[in-house]
Amino acid sequence: MNILEINNLVKDFGGLRAVDTLSLSIKEGEILGMIGPNGAGKSTAFNCIAGVYSPTKGDIFFAGKKINGVKPWNLCKGGLARTFQIVKPFRSKSVLYNVMVASFATTDKTAAAEEKALEVLKTLSFEHKKDERAGNLTIAELKRLEVARALATEPKLLLFDEVMAGLRPAEVDEMVQIIKNLRDRGITIFVIEHIMRAIMALSDRIVVIHFGKKIAEGTPQEVASNENVIKAYLGDEYVVS
Amino acid sequence: MTRKTINTSALILLGVVAFGIPLVLRSPTYLHIICLLFFYAYLTTSWNLVGGFAGVLPLGHSAFVGIGAYTSTVLSLQYGVSPWLGMIVGGFLAGIVGILIGLPTFKMRGAYFALATIAFGEGIRVMFENIETLGPLNIRGPRGLEIPPTHTGFVNFMFNTKEPYYYIILVMLIGVIAFTYFISRSKLGYFLNAGGEEPEAAMSLGVNVARAKLIAMAMSSFLTALAGTFYAQFTLYIYPKSVMSLDLSFEIAFIALIGGRGSIAGPILGALLLRPVSDFSRIYFGSSLPGLHLIIFGTVLILVMIFQPRGLQEPLLKVYNKLLDRILQQAPQGKAGHEYS
Repeated sequence: MNILEINNLVKDFGGLRAVDTLSLSIKEGEILGMIGPNGAGKSTAFNCIAGVYSPTKGDIFFAGKKINGVKPWNLCKGGLARTFQIVKPFRSKSVLYNVMVASFATTDKTAAAEEKALEVLKTLSFEHKKDERAGNLTIAELKRLEVARALATEPKLLLFDEVMAGLRPAEVDEMVQIIKNLRDRGITIFVIEHIMRAIMALSDRIVVIHFGKKIAEGTPQEVASNENVIKAYLGDEYVVS
Repeated sequence: MTRKTINTSALILLGVVAFGIPLVLRSPTYLHIICLLFFYAYLTTSWNLVGGFAGVLPLGHSAFVGIGAYTSTVLSLQYGVSPWLGMIVGGFLAGIVGILIGLPTFKMRGAYFALATIAFGEGIRVMFENIETLGPLNIRGPRGLEIPPTHTGFVNFMFNTKEPYYYIILVMLIGVIAFTYFISRSKLGYFLNAGGEEPEAAMSLGVNVARAKLIAMAMSSFLTALAGTFYAQFTLYIYPKSVMSLDLSFEIAFIALIGGRGSIAGPILGALLLRPVSDFSRIYFGSSLPGLHLIIFGTVLILVMIFQPRGLQEPLLKVYNKLLDRILQQAPQGKAGHEYS
């Protein structure tokens, strides 16, 4: 069953068409990667799915229900969580506080929210930082906090917007492992990523977009050898004919 | 002895001292000053629900003080309703007005929100100053309302001495502190803080930021209006400039910002530090340098914002915690969670 289905999604900003008739679907339990050059419309597509923007045209279905224009907080309660490319922690608060805000999505009780948050921090081996002020964390830790918060809302589908950007190679490997573990726990994952090594290792399928349009789709190997993809990334002269 | 038991006993001791003050301090002048101090601490704590937790800067809260004061006073003068009942009615009325003000203004950010709330607050004051009657209600424009001190007693919320007022405002203050403490540890408190700091992130984590702010605004304006009734009964004379002035709104914000907005102790601390300044500057410089206290507040605010942007409660709490550590003679075990809340 497809947990997320996008049909001919269009998003215009004034005269600029950021996403152009994009269609894709994600099966339950899958990891789908999305790549594309800077400004290709990846984050805009994400923001349409996550309810930040409402689509100009086209439909988005999540778990069989149309979610065009549904507000982010309601999507979150329905099981769709996301992280932000530019991290947005609650800086003046502790790590635990940050995660507890998210775990309140599933409970009304403070004690239960705290327990849930601690459990999430434990699965991400982040427990030792629980009393640290989020403003004092390193970028790698902030990215992990983004993941922790998204995870604490008990999502069915997780949207990761460049959670590995700015990380060192060892940290990237850790994050890849974390994401794989999440999938093994039954969460469907949709990732935008620029680090090829990571996205190749992670994804079951990859979608490539360029100027808002889908130009390729397939397994990592298929995509890597696709002519259009190489053109988009490197230019015409690099295509081996 | 653990940190927690020391904290609790310190709080209980503070409560006992507060309840004991009128037994020792017999001067009505000083009791009057302390009553007003508690009144301001109460107002600021109520304000803190929106201005502190939700991270916006409302500067029109005196309108709610006025609504509370006028509602209970008009009801008791014209219809003989006990001010206690009028207090609740005023609270609900203010809550509704709070929501109506919040609906359009919470969409604005930063200074625009502050300006819009000033406009609403001032608008209500000007309206009260320029109309004699509001439907069947007689509000007498700029002359205001006098409450004749004929029927003293608890039911009429009127007393010959300061002590009953002292205990009433003290209980109200303790109540509102307990309430905000409870809110700060509830789902709503977490949502308000999150929404105030990073609205986009909060929304994606399941927080309906606008709704949380509106709930906080309703609570805050309700509680603020209760203090309005207290003030009316305490001074027995209200007029638009006394209960709805911009100065009052500003003073609340000053106290909160200097004490530390968003914390429980901040508003209390701010009132403890600033009220004496304004009272003594009025007593000693009232004729030669009127408004001196506002200049002092402004200077203090600038200094606090430069050196302690989180208000004075933060360094004081740190000192307190260090002192506790020394008493307990143990290594500091990380930072206590409440330091950030």
